[in-house]
Amino acid sequence: MTRREAVTHVAWILGGVFSAPTIQAMNRWQEMSLSPNAVHQTGAFLTETQHEIMARVADLIIPRTDTPGAVDAGVPDFMEVMLRDCYKKPAQDAFLMGVDGLEKKGFLKLSPGEQTATLRQIEADAPKDGSPSFWLITKELTLLVYYTSEAGIKASFDYQPIPGRFEAIKIKPGQKDFMYGNQA
Amino acid sequence: MNLNIKADQGQTYDAIVVGSGMTGGWAAKELTEKGLKVLMLERGYEIKHVEDYKTAFKDPWEFEHRGKISNVAAEEHYATMYFSAKEGSQYMFTNDKEHPYVQKRPFNWIRAYHTGGKSLVWGKHTYRWNQEDFLANAKQGIGIDWPIRYEDLVPWYSYVEKFVGISGQAEKLAVLPDSHFQPGMAMTAPEIHLKNSVAQKLNRPITIGRVAHLTNPQPWHTALGRASCQFRNRCTRGCPFGAYFSSLAATLPAARQTNRLTVVHNAIVQEIILDDKAQKAKGVRVIDQNTMEVREFYAKVIFLNAGTIGSTSILMNSKSARFPNGLGNDSDQLGRNLMDHHLAIGARADIDGFENDYYFGARPGSLYIPRFRNWGNDKRDYLRGFGYQGGASRADWSRGAAETGFGADFKKKMTQPGPWKINLSGFGEVLPDPNNRFYLDNNQLDKWGQPQVVFDADFGENERAMRKDIMNDGAEMLEAAGFKNVVAYDNPVAHMGLGIHEMGTARMGKDPKTSVLNKFNQVHACKNVFVTDGSGMTSASNVNPSLTYMALTARAADHAVAQLKARNL
Repeated sequence: MTRREAVTHVAWILGGVFSAPTIQAMNRWQEMSLSPNAVHQTGAFLTETQHEIMARVADLIIPRTDTPGAVDAGVPDFMEVMLRDCYKKPAQDAFLMGVDGLEKKGFLKLSPGEQTATLRQIEADAPKDGSPSFWLITKELTLLVYYTSEAGIKASFDYQPIPGRFEAIKIKPGQKDFMYGNQA
Repeated sequence: MNLNIKADQGQTYDAIVVGSGMTGGWAAKELTEKGLKVLMLERGYEIKHVEDYKTAFKDPWEFEHRGKISNVAAEEHYATMYFSAKEGSQYMFTNDKEHPYVQKRPFNWIRAYHTGGKSLVWGKHTYRWNQEDFLANAKQGIGIDWPIRYEDLVPWYSYVEKFVGISGQAEKLAVLPDSHFQPGMAMTAPEIHLKNSVAQKLNRPITIGRVAHLTNPQPWHTALGRASCQFRNRCTRGCPFGAYFSSLAATLPAARQTNRLTVVHNAIVQEIILDDKAQKAKGVRVIDQNTMEVREFYAKVIFLNAGTIGSTSILMNSKSARFPNGLGNDSDQLGRNLMDHHLAIGARADIDGFENDYYFGARPGSLYIPRFRNWGNDKRDYLRGFGYQGGASRADWSRGAAETGFGADFKKKMTQPGPWKINLSGFGEVLPDPNNRFYLDNNQLDKWGQPQVVFDADFGENERAMRKDIMNDGAEMLEAAGFKNVVAYDNPVAHMGLGIHEMGTARMGKDPKTSVLNKFNQVHACKNVFVTDGSGMTSASNVNPSLTYMALTARAADHAVAQLKARNL
């Protein structure tokens, strides 16, 4: 069975039929992620509509408030790069299936309230065992790209790249994280 | 393969040191400071201290994949993926695809082929062995007896400790002898609580990890351009402050100051050239990793510091009429008794409370819980013991992926330090076993025509019995502190090599019939060849080995120079 057949087969088992662009994206993604020059390639995998859907989802997860939001920090574009270069096929496919599902729901035409409710439902239905699901991957990547972006870091944390000392301290209310988590 | 052999007449030195890592750096420093003209051969590319630490000051947003490893890089670095899988330090680790090896049984061979070797990526935990470590084999009839005792190493421990600069706390424990310390690093509030609970309820000491970081630099450190630790915990990118000990920050600058050190990079040592009549080594034959050019270098004395597998491979590859099975292999022990420390096991917990406690700075160290099993009156149904490294920290934004919720409030919450978590990670001693070995396969060559290394080793019954205790004892200590959701874990991925403490394949001993090296790390039957990295270890202890390798190297170099002066080599 070719991968394309397999994907279609899985889709059929799940009771859905993928749109042609989704199937195409799955195949192109695989080709590119297996190419040693992948990191030097560009090119979106999602259609314009799908890209817009993911931008909306990212912005619902980390909206613009008094600080920049996910779209301000370039989450949607970077999400595709990360998925292509750092995620394995099962995760890529799970992600694309999720986007496909949102597209079928006409996600962009829903009211903000309905969009939030849709995501709440997807969150509730997502497996809790850490297996790669559309929701986990989307949230993981939205957080990663936002909280490691220059805009996100400077707006969210008391970033200390060169602390100079180590000491146990008491914190005051509202103390922001010093962001040591991704030092290495 | 057409090799252009060019014997360089006149390329003669007093000593050749093979490898520029943890022990190669020490050998070069000691031999040059004692007046010898030294050639250091490094098989990998050159990394210059500070200027080549290209990722040291990068911010998270400057990385192509924000610090994550790409699929392509993961495939190229398959041996290192369990640890250190970070974009910022990837360049410090060897591409396994380009340097293949064979795993008859699973083995992660983690390598750093460049100046400084693994001294640029080590964990930096620095402990003396105790008296019992050197006696255990003889008392228990395991392997062979060490030809040296703790007391033989005491002056050398002291000597190297002062130069290295070790941060730690003196505890006066027989099980974990104190070193010369600079101020120890601080503990966080939940760690202090754990220390007190475990002392009261279980009568076990917990100390701050002893790590090779400067916290109060002495004049001889600053003279080499080394400065205090800045608590960035970005060590594996290379430290531009020279705060942690590495060849690049410390021993190589010291050796260069003598003007008696020559370093040649990209030089893969194929074999030692022997003078069978004199039962001595004459020099080494090397192949340039880029040009494939073969050259020879000569010296009165040769120090092998290529890392345990590297040094032992060179001995195996050095054959002659006198040594048909590899240099110094009269005992058939070459490549056998391969040891590591077994890990990927321990216990973790969530911590309620301590909401107002936090820490300023990123500590490049941890707690240390010294061995307590089979120590004093404690007797178990297995031999030897284990220690733990670990600590408590507050979760950051990455906790958010697994938490329920999204939107403005969620976003704000992620900017605050998260709940405390604690992990205790065990490090267990591995017994020497002649059937745990590696050998060279002359039918599978690498691109330089060198036979590939085949690993055939695994943990035994003693290690597996010990692992039950590592889990249970870890959980018991976390429970004693009243921490929540205690989970004891044993990662099924655990196998040899992951400890990056491979050792024992050219063991030291009293009898040439059962060992490769003598008590001064000389090849028994070829006295001008010294092997002072992990190869010589007769047993493994459960503490990190680097400090002991350094002490053995300084001691061997002292002996080598004395023997040269006495014209015995």
